[in-house]
Amino acid sequence: MADLEARGIPTVGVATTEFIQGAAAQAKSLGTDPALVFIPHPVQDRTDDELKQLADDHLEAILKLLVK
Amino acid sequence: MSELPRDGLVAVVKRDCPTCVLTAPVLGELARRAGITVYTQDDPSFPDTVPGPVDDLGLDISHRLAIEIVPTLIRLDAGHEVDRTYGWDRAEWERVAGIAGLGIDLPRSRPGCGAKNVEPGIIERLKIRFNETGLVSRRIAIGNDEDEYEAMYARGWSDGLPLVPPTEERVLRMLDGTSRDPREVLGLVPPDLAPATVEKIAINAVMAGCKPEQLPVVLAAVEAVLEESFAMHGVLATTMFVGPVVVVNGPIRRQIGMNAKGNALGQGNRANGAIGRALQLVIRNIGGGRPQEVDRATLGNPGKWTYCFAEDEEGSSWEPLSVERGIAPGKSAVTVFAGFGLQGVVDRKSRTPESLARSFAESLKTLFNVKSAPPCDAMLVVCPEHHRTFREAGWTKARLYEELYKLCEIPGEELVAGAKGIAEGGSASRIGTMVNKFRPGGLMIVRAGGDAGMFSGIIGGWSSSGPRGSVPITKEVKR
Amino acid sequence: MTVLLDPTSERSPTSRPRLPRPEGLDGLTIGILDIAKSRGDVFLRRLGERLGERGIAVRHYAKPTNTRPAPLPLAQRIATEVDLVIEGLSD
Repeated sequence: MADLEARGIPTVGVATTEFIQGAAAQAKSLGTDPALVFIPHPVQDRTDDELKQLADDHLEAILKLLVK
Repeated sequence: MSELPRDGLVAVVKRDCPTCVLTAPVLGELARRAGITVYTQDDPSFPDTVPGPVDDLGLDISHRLAIEIVPTLIRLDAGHEVDRTYGWDRAEWERVAGIAGLGIDLPRSRPGCGAKNVEPGIIERLKIRFNETGLVSRRIAIGNDEDEYEAMYARGWSDGLPLVPPTEERVLRMLDGTSRDPREVLGLVPPDLAPATVEKIAINAVMAGCKPEQLPVVLAAVEAVLEESFAMHGVLATTMFVGPVVVVNGPIRRQIGMNAKGNALGQGNRANGAIGRALQLVIRNIGGGRPQEVDRATLGNPGKWTYCFAEDEEGSSWEPLSVERGIAPGKSAVTVFAGFGLQGVVDRKSRTPESLARSFAESLKTLFNVKSAPPCDAMLVVCPEHHRTFREAGWTKARLYEELYKLCEIPGEELVAGAKGIAEGGSASRIGTMVNKFRPGGLMIVRAGGDAGMFSGIIGGWSSSGPRGSVPITKEVKR
Repeated sequence: MTVLLDPTSERSPTSRPRLPRPEGLDGLTIGILDIAKSRGDVFLRRLGERLGERGIAVRHYAKPTNTRPAPLPLAQRIATEVDLVIEGLSD
């Protein structure tokens, strides 16, 4: 993500809630402020329909971080 | 880290000190008669006269006890220091120890040696370790997996070229180059109008590659560009070419090894390059002024990396630029000028000052556009061989200025929009008048360059020059 | 670990602030980058479909492996082909 922003491309990352701590630690050590949307963990065992629903539910939150 | 005893005698010594060696038997005596904790700064087996000298090679205890001379003898009581002495003096040691008859075989007194913890380099590291540096800037930790040079690029601190990592140690050493308080604010840097403290400027000076002795020149240059009439915001934000150009006068040039001679406006000299670069980094990092953001320059010019040189004063029959601008002779000063590029003036044939002045004037008249008057201020950099022509003819600087202004008068009809088939130009109302290429005071002359070569140069200025734009500023360099 | 002093005015709470965002999405292309963790593809495809329904141009990319950063040619391609990126799915 930092690499793409460094190349001038605003980026939003999507991660599960499991990643919240890790993302904070990484941001602190790199001095970055990444735009992130968290979806409920777990993801691995979800059905296709559940994943599509999660995408629908979080689309707005993602787009909000891509525009002013 | 070792703990100090709450009560009793403490001594700090180093083997590499003849006086400490001299007092070794006395320390043994004190160990037997009263008990003593001896800390050693360099060799943990010294002195062998006491049962267990404590290793203070890390110098933590020495720093906490503020040791300056070894040997030092201290008496502690209930965790507080009640008495101390340094060097060897029998009466003093007997008083601090509260014991008579110490070191009767020794001479009455002997001076001590400098303690290891206050040696240059070491004192900085200790201050950093104990967080006593007085540096207030945010600390940025670069992890072991990250290359610190890439990290600085990633954080947007660079002008495009690599930076020297501004560690606490380097910044502390840089601040030794000035007696000014690191917290002193020199002004507010546009466009963000953020305070330029001596500390922040020192950080950028480290990154630029400056040596501590160059910092006072950087500080003077920053002071100068932050003068309101320099109009730094405008100079930064313009679509035109300019950036601050720094000319240095006075004894500081030699003291810090600046180049006023061969290739003075080119590469190769650390002081020239780093001072100009530090100024640019201050604008970028403290002020937040960056290309394609607030800096809207269409082309810019290579001088925006760095543009700083020393005037060639030695052997010149002309007064230095700083003196011309009101600084007392013999004082060091900087003049900053919103300028760009270098237009070469080649004249290998002129033998008279009149002819050479005409070469200069004809070149000056092309600045910006032949149809443009006045376009900007300008600085004429006269090389030594060209200066010789004026010196041998007895032309003072004032005489040359006078001649150039005269030669830069242009008939208004030549400047009218459309004249010479060029749409650029001015109003027809100027027909029948003479228009000067420069505003009064819009020209500056300095001497610089190698001794061989009949090549002078013109540094162009900014379209908004003078009272409604940017004026050159001269500031004395203060250590 | 190296500790550096911040040369900036420290107005930004972090050292590398986020890039400024565009006013809106009209006329822009969004890149969707799959970092190749399992099941992420289903989620990201659906995002792409929904964006397409809104008339927003979308391009899909995938990292060859989730264990390393995007290889240089991929990063360069993305940077030249899109205006914005959604990257996922980390867990």
